[in-house]
Amino acid sequence: MPGAAFSSFFKEWAILFIFVGLFAACAIFVDGFFDGNNILNIVRQISFLAIIALGQFFVILIGGIDMSASSSIGFTSVLLAGLVHWENVPIALAIVLVLLASIAVGFVNGLMAVYGKIPAFIATLVTMIVLKGVNYLYSNSIPISGLPAGFKNLGAGHIGPIPTPIVILAVIAIACYVFTMHTATGRSIYAVGGNEEASRLSGINTNKIKMIAFILGSFLTAIGAILITSRTMAGQPTIGENMLFDVITVVVLGGTSLSGGRGKVVGVVIAALILGIIDNAMVLLGIGSYWQWIIKGLILAAVVLIDAKTKKD
Amino acid sequence: MGGPAEQPIIELRDVSKSFPGVRALDHVSFSLRPGECRALVGENGAGKSTLAKIIIGHYTPSEGAVYVGGTNVTEKSGYNVRSSQAMGIAVVHQELQLIPEMNGLENLFIGSYAKRFGLVDRKAMMRKAAEIMDFLGSSVDLTVPIKELRMAEKQIIQLAKAVSMQAKMIIMDELTAVLQEKEIENIYRIIRVLKQRGMGIIYISHRLDEIFEVCDTYTVLCDGRMIHSGEVADVDKDRLIEMIIGREMTQIFPPLNDKFGAPVLELKGFSAGKAFRNIDLTVRAGEVVGIAGLVGAGKTELLNAIFGNYRTTGGEMYWKGEKVNFRKPSAAIRKGIGLVPDERKQLGLVMNFNVVHNITLPSLKRFKKGTMQHRQEREQANQVAQLMRVKATPQQSVVKLSGGNQQKIVISKWVLADSELFLFDEPTRGIDVGAKAEIYKLVGELTAKGKSVIIVSPELEELIGTCHRIYVMFEGEFQTCVSGEQKTQSHIISKLLGV
Repeated sequence: MPGAAFSSFFKEWAILFIFVGLFAACAIFVDGFFDGNNILNIVRQISFLAIIALGQFFVILIGGIDMSASSSIGFTSVLLAGLVHWENVPIALAIVLVLLASIAVGFVNGLMAVYGKIPAFIATLVTMIVLKGVNYLYSNSIPISGLPAGFKNLGAGHIGPIPTPIVILAVIAIACYVFTMHTATGRSIYAVGGNEEASRLSGINTNKIKMIAFILGSFLTAIGAILITSRTMAGQPTIGENMLFDVITVVVLGGTSLSGGRGKVVGVVIAALILGIIDNAMVLLGIGSYWQWIIKGLILAAVVLIDAKTKKD
Repeated sequence: MGGPAEQPIIELRDVSKSFPGVRALDHVSFSLRPGECRALVGENGAGKSTLAKIIIGHYTPSEGAVYVGGTNVTEKSGYNVRSSQAMGIAVVHQELQLIPEMNGLENLFIGSYAKRFGLVDRKAMMRKAAEIMDFLGSSVDLTVPIKELRMAEKQIIQLAKAVSMQAKMIIMDELTAVLQEKEIENIYRIIRVLKQRGMGIIYISHRLDEIFEVCDTYTVLCDGRMIHSGEVADVDKDRLIEMIIGREMTQIFPPLNDKFGAPVLELKGFSAGKAFRNIDLTVRAGEVVGIAGLVGAGKTELLNAIFGNYRTTGGEMYWKGEKVNFRKPSAAIRKGIGLVPDERKQLGLVMNFNVVHNITLPSLKRFKKGTMQHRQEREQANQVAQLMRVKATPQQSVVKLSGGNQQKIVISKWVLADSELFLFDEPTRGIDVGAKAEIYKLVGELTAKGKSVIIVSPELEELIGTCHRIYVMFEGEFQTCVSGEQKTQSHIISKLLGV
């Protein structure tokens, strides 16, 4: 029945329809929106969020959640700046070390959630709280400056006409897409999220897959954090403390099921763009920032409602 | 049973129901009298649930009329599930209809609390509940939260609820699919008690033996049409099967394979704590070996231990002569063993995956050359699906398939993985007679190709029909192994009970 096929296509790609509709509406009704610079700006703004959301995406795919993201962004920032400014580590090496540290954080999250059998929410909450303390202690609660000028190019520079963060997001998004759609490990992540026990009884090493998800989550979060730090040019313990809400909004808006096993990389990216468009439109329309919170909360509520209704089938 | 003068509880006259593109019911008529237990049988998709949903008011007939207690409920609009309940129609099925966190007493009286001075009268409720449980002859603890009760106990409470709401008829939809032998006997007893009291029962089940135990009349549906209706006393099981699948069934069970190879699996003194002890078992290539036993005999634990999914504490296992010790399923899978678990939705399939991705799940490495080879994956999975006669398109999500097709997909996983030994745990649970025959045929085909099969099943007839040899298990130990002429129900049952 053609009607049924179209409606299931619509449900799968609802996010795309929402995006196109929203874009068109803003282009028509919001002054200043439909401008090359403005649009490029939107994409650049959300690129950090999108990369971090992709990290969270993998953890949610296996049925978990990574609460530690809110502190680990600050942790990455502070550690990076601290290594460069206080330990005189060259920036390139510092970036590598910081990424390794993020893998360790993901490893610890995984260890607690997978082998310790602690629910992911609690395990990562523990990490979040511990890192929060570490951030403030290490930085003495003040921003750490002293990052080399060249570092700014990561977050604020351009490659050709396109801002660098957008290029980095594109590379990461494509890598994530290939990973989820075209690798056995990617397929296994969906399987474990969809039915862990059935996957285990089919020979999948479910513990390993879940560890990979947590580590990937922290790793991508760190990349986002590095880019954010490059824009602010300072290591700040408070960076990212409020980002978790937006991150999870983006992941769920992008069609990822909170119970795991369902979601698309493309959906997450489009959802980040939608959030960026909404933020941008609200600014252009002069809506105050506290109102923005309320509106975003309502959007998340609407999204989750639609998610629940479509899952009922 | 009521005499001819007594008015039927419900009557369906020429009821048809169409949905876009499909005619689910086509001119079905029958009636249910007080004290009558009518079997409703047919393959999956024959229209049984549609019929039940029309009776309870969930659907309205496209044609024809439904009479409840003499009243034509199709004429007046507004006959829905709540009004059918008020008119005395109750349903008990496999899905949970109770509130898990509350106890039996509370569930019994939800929505109809006894009140005194406006407050809930607990004593009155307890008295009434005790009356009902006495009447049913059941001792289920009503003070325990539902989630802590066994399936059989939950069903009894649902039945008690129907009685407390003064139901005149109960539709029992596949209750016994999830019950064990003793519990099923208990359900028979309750049905007889209810019949005596004048309750009408519509009994839906795939297990045809049960129908001959408790039902007075039967109605057979096939593709939405009523094939035949009559007295159970006038028909036998073979005739019933013929009517259900619409063609003559000369044999449900194909002839057994007669070419055997070397032993593939040998267990010596295989033990796992309290679950099973000192198990000696051999399976040759091309053989079907059965394991019979009551609940708690240790059958499922044994099967899982062979698969590396249950911790063993002693003994040895030899795979093709080589001593092995599987600590997790992936080790057993690599050697060529596959498990078809008893709960296919919880343990056998990833429900939101499609047919192809489910079939290839144990074999992902095979399609990995850097990235996944999607086309080969699809082709090979399709080949296997067609071999297994799965009725589905490859892109279809398995959640929409029938139980029989879902089970075939689980089996397909291991066929694609080139497994040598197939472990079946209750392979035909909840599957209709036609699909069962398909599965037995597949087992025969596997063994003809030299594969080996171990089947655990509560249905003795199934084991006798498909297995070369049957090990009988009692309280964790093998009592005996029967084959050839000894393979009879009476012989096995006596061993099952440890006699």
